[in-house]
Amino acid sequence: MLESRRVLAPLLIAPAVVFMALVVGVPFVWAIYLSFTDAIGGSLSGNWVGFDNFTNAWHDDNFRRALRNTLVFTLASQAIVVVGAAVLSNFLVRDFRGKWIVRFLVVLPWAAPVVLSTITWLWLLDSLYSVVNWSLAHLHLDHGLVWLLGAVHLEEGAQVPLQWLGRPNLALLAITIVHAWRILPFAVVIFIAGRASIPTEVEDASRIDGATGLKKLWYVDVPLQLPIALVAVLFGIVFTAADFGVVYILTHGGPFNSTQVLPTWAYAIGIDSGSLGEGAAISLFLFPLLVLVSVAMLFFARRAQVS
Amino acid sequence: MTRRERLTTYAVVVPFAIFLAFPFYFALVTMFKTNLDLANVANAPYVYNDAQGNFHWDFWNYATTEHVRFLFEDTNYPRWLLNTLLVGAAVVGITLLLALPAGYALARLAGGWGQSAGILIFLVYLVPPTLLFLPLSRLITQLDLKDSLWALILVYPSFTVPFATWLLMGFFKTIPQELEDAALIDGASRLTAFYRIILPISLPGILTVVIFAFSLCVNEFIYAFTFISTSEQRTVSAGIPTDLIRGDVFFWQSLMAAVLIPTIPLALLYNAFLDRFIKGFTGGAFR
Amino acid sequence: MAEPKDELAGASPTLSRGDLLKRGGAAAFAVSMFGGLTDKALGFYGPLKFAHKQLAGDLRIMTWAHFVPAYDQWLDNTYVKQWGEANDVEVKVDHINNALLYSTGASEVAAQSGHDLFWFISPPATFQKQAIPVNDLVQEVTKKLGPMSRVARKATYNPKTKKFYGFPESYAPDPVQYRKSFLEQTGVSLNTWEDVRKGAPKLKALGHPVGLGMSNEIDSNMFLTSLLYCYGGFIQDEQNRIVIGQGANRKGAIEALKTMRDIYRNGMSDEVFAWTAASNNQAFLAGRLSMALNAISIERSVEQSGNQALSDDSWLAAIPRGPHMRLGNEHVMGVYLIWKFAKNKEAAKKFAVDQQLGYREHFVRSLYYNFPPWTGAVKGGFKTIRKLCAQDSHKPKGKYTVLATIAERYTTNPGHPGNTTPVMDEVYNTFLIPQMFAEVAQGKQTPAEAVSGFSKKVQGIYRKWKAQGLV
Repeated sequence: MLESRRVLAPLLIAPAVVFMALVVGVPFVWAIYLSFTDAIGGSLSGNWVGFDNFTNAWHDDNFRRALRNTLVFTLASQAIVVVGAAVLSNFLVRDFRGKWIVRFLVVLPWAAPVVLSTITWLWLLDSLYSVVNWSLAHLHLDHGLVWLLGAVHLEEGAQVPLQWLGRPNLALLAITIVHAWRILPFAVVIFIAGRASIPTEVEDASRIDGATGLKKLWYVDVPLQLPIALVAVLFGIVFTAADFGVVYILTHGGPFNSTQVLPTWAYAIGIDSGSLGEGAAISLFLFPLLVLVSVAMLFFARRAQVS
Repeated sequence: MTRRERLTTYAVVVPFAIFLAFPFYFALVTMFKTNLDLANVANAPYVYNDAQGNFHWDFWNYATTEHVRFLFEDTNYPRWLLNTLLVGAAVVGITLLLALPAGYALARLAGGWGQSAGILIFLVYLVPPTLLFLPLSRLITQLDLKDSLWALILVYPSFTVPFATWLLMGFFKTIPQELEDAALIDGASRLTAFYRIILPISLPGILTVVIFAFSLCVNEFIYAFTFISTSEQRTVSAGIPTDLIRGDVFFWQSLMAAVLIPTIPLALLYNAFLDRFIKGFTGGAFR
Repeated sequence: MAEPKDELAGASPTLSRGDLLKRGGAAAFAVSMFGGLTDKALGFYGPLKFAHKQLAGDLRIMTWAHFVPAYDQWLDNTYVKQWGEANDVEVKVDHINNALLYSTGASEVAAQSGHDLFWFISPPATFQKQAIPVNDLVQEVTKKLGPMSRVARKATYNPKTKKFYGFPESYAPDPVQYRKSFLEQTGVSLNTWEDVRKGAPKLKALGHPVGLGMSNEIDSNMFLTSLLYCYGGFIQDEQNRIVIGQGANRKGAIEALKTMRDIYRNGMSDEVFAWTAASNNQAFLAGRLSMALNAISIERSVEQSGNQALSDDSWLAAIPRGPHMRLGNEHVMGVYLIWKFAKNKEAAKKFAVDQQLGYREHFVRSLYYNFPPWTGAVKGGFKTIRKLCAQDSHKPKGKYTVLATIAERYTTNPGHPGNTTPVMDEVYNTFLIPQMFAEVAQGKQTPAEAVSGFSKKVQGIYRKWKAQGLV
């Protein structure tokens, strides 16, 4: 009887499904329920208030900024990651002396627990002891950089030493870079895997056809790597959009709540301030969008693969 | 490779490596600094200086291991490392236990809807984790697991199992059906066939799952903070920010040491298995 | 400041003095000698009036990791152990980073299970529905020690529900800590905010700017509210209605914002927007800042830093006077909650009460960080407290004397002149006050716009908590 597919398949899948339903499904449904209530202070029940929490949040400019920041961090850091990973993976597959040590250095950010490595960044970008600023000053680049930031209208009125976590746009930049920094190694690995998955016949064929350099990159490598790149991006998006630690540790949402993201703002409102219902609503805001994006990307990835 | 190719390679990979590894290099320097050296703004941050802020060529005489000693002797750090390892190992075990059969079933037995399962599985990652710890904390309490590593061992598979299932499902699909059929014809049961034929071939995929699941466990901290309030029971990610940032004081040198110490062996491990990890991904995730 | 009597009188109509409290206090806690700080000097060993086993069980306490680590060690290894033995209770104390207290509290509420006594770093007004009122304990301690100080009462009492939702354990004043030599060199005074406004550029020119944070962290929260008081820009009135958007309060707030903008533009750098709670400590320790506001943690770190010159030059002072008054927030208000679902409420109550009755030892052991909410816990009240502070052995001698004055006269609760409500709690936890100041300082908004925006946000928060019946 165990051999029958109809019995065996559900039997094998059931433990995972039951487990996920219990540990993710139940709390998730509960969180959705809370977002429609006025629950406070950790209490898991409250009075039904309909969509009030959502509309309240929507009318708060701090919330909107958090929403915008979440999108900005996610998209900007993933753009950096994709370009960086495409370039780096292209070279890391080659054989060269010292490859082992380079690879070791590259995977370091991935091996470090994210809270802890972010604390390291906090120290690197410290308001007073920043080694980044020290180095810029000793390379005589600091004033030039301040001028440049003003000239491109990224951060006007900044001073030397640069306060990476004290000026809104600089802080956005710093957080984006830290996100990119921690996701990049993982993306590189996936990209290398993606390259490896290109059948050697394709390589050979393109070589015979005389496709080289940019042409080959554009017509052969990119399309073939697209599905795999999408997977890397998807992971990157999920890990960045849902991330709490980087912003919480680096800026706590400051200066003037200009770097809040949805997870930190939901936490500030729902946990620290005790408005649990509203916090739940804030944390759920992006869910539908993320679902749409992911489904589209996975669908597209598969289509790209098939064709 | 031609000389030019080699040069371009270095020109690209070296800056990347510096960017990615710099925080760790600087952590390495900082962890041996004396308090006075660290506090003096005028001092060069890259080297060790004496109490007056002067640099000497025998700079190692102006460094101190005091803060590393503090970390190991005056905090529960060794215990946190051990806890992290235990939780990671247990979670990896549970993950495989749940994901191997599920992945296999979805790849081989489920038929049409196994295709869509991949997408469904992924959606689990989109559930925002920030507030989930509240309802979960009730579950944990009812199971009487508060303040116990078992709480984390129970909860962490929630974010490792979906990925593992998804990856293994893809991996199993790449294994030719004929291999299995041959075994089945020989009279082996499906489970035996799975155990004897599929599992050995899938080792790269399994290894990928192991590494990925472990790294997710090491990274998690919200559950670790809230389900465990006893210092001895914490993991690295929760214990360090709690016990090494005291009120208004960051124990910077000890913090840096605490970051570096688990990172280096993990990075060595990841690097050693990187090729197989890549193979696991190639075989699995994209089918 | 006058001591309003209304609240305490209406607080608890019927007071039953249980066995618990009769047993508590004096006998077990024969006041220890100051000076003889060896553990044995503690008077725990006196004979118990009542038989053992009445409180038997476990008591689990959650508290922060105190910034004076030695205090935690004494608390865990000496005080708690001896109290446990004396009361036949197995006590376990957990310490966590103060930033995690709220999330851990929320998770215990969600689980309806957790510590019996839960300590918060600020009045946890948003949790009040989950805690048992402690009016009886307050009344009991008040009987023995005299009136509770205004700051503690305003912070833990809810006039709407007529309940003390939490039991005040300690508070820490928020003094100015400054470098005497820098002020002397520049001839800058810290007596009024106008002095600071005028003096800040000189100090900056000297290379030692004033350090007044406008960042998303606790020090900025506390200091900026204090600045609002000094300029008469109160967020709420005595009935806890939000008034900052109107009349004199609005004007005061606008003046405070302008002052801060000037101080920033002429006398500080961008760093004040990037600070964490530890940054002003670090910058002071680095010898950079000429002045900062914080609990005495800066001063204590300076003393331990090994930098004697810095330590000898560092002094304490009261917050500068504004056009309206001289008044500052407390920096920390330690409040115990006893959850409704706590398993060992009796032991939790007794622990809190006993600790308060013998608070002198805690005051001393915490190196004057923890002030007693009941000043009478230190026999002789502020007179003795001043004497103790004056006796601190660290150089420059006598620098702590002013701390007693600050605590006595210039320290109030968040939400002054009203109570510390859930509204204030949310305002702090969402950093709306630093946001208002920083936006003006960086020129993103005019002071008038910023006050209007702030007022609107706080009104919204007020409506939310009014609907909960808590304001």
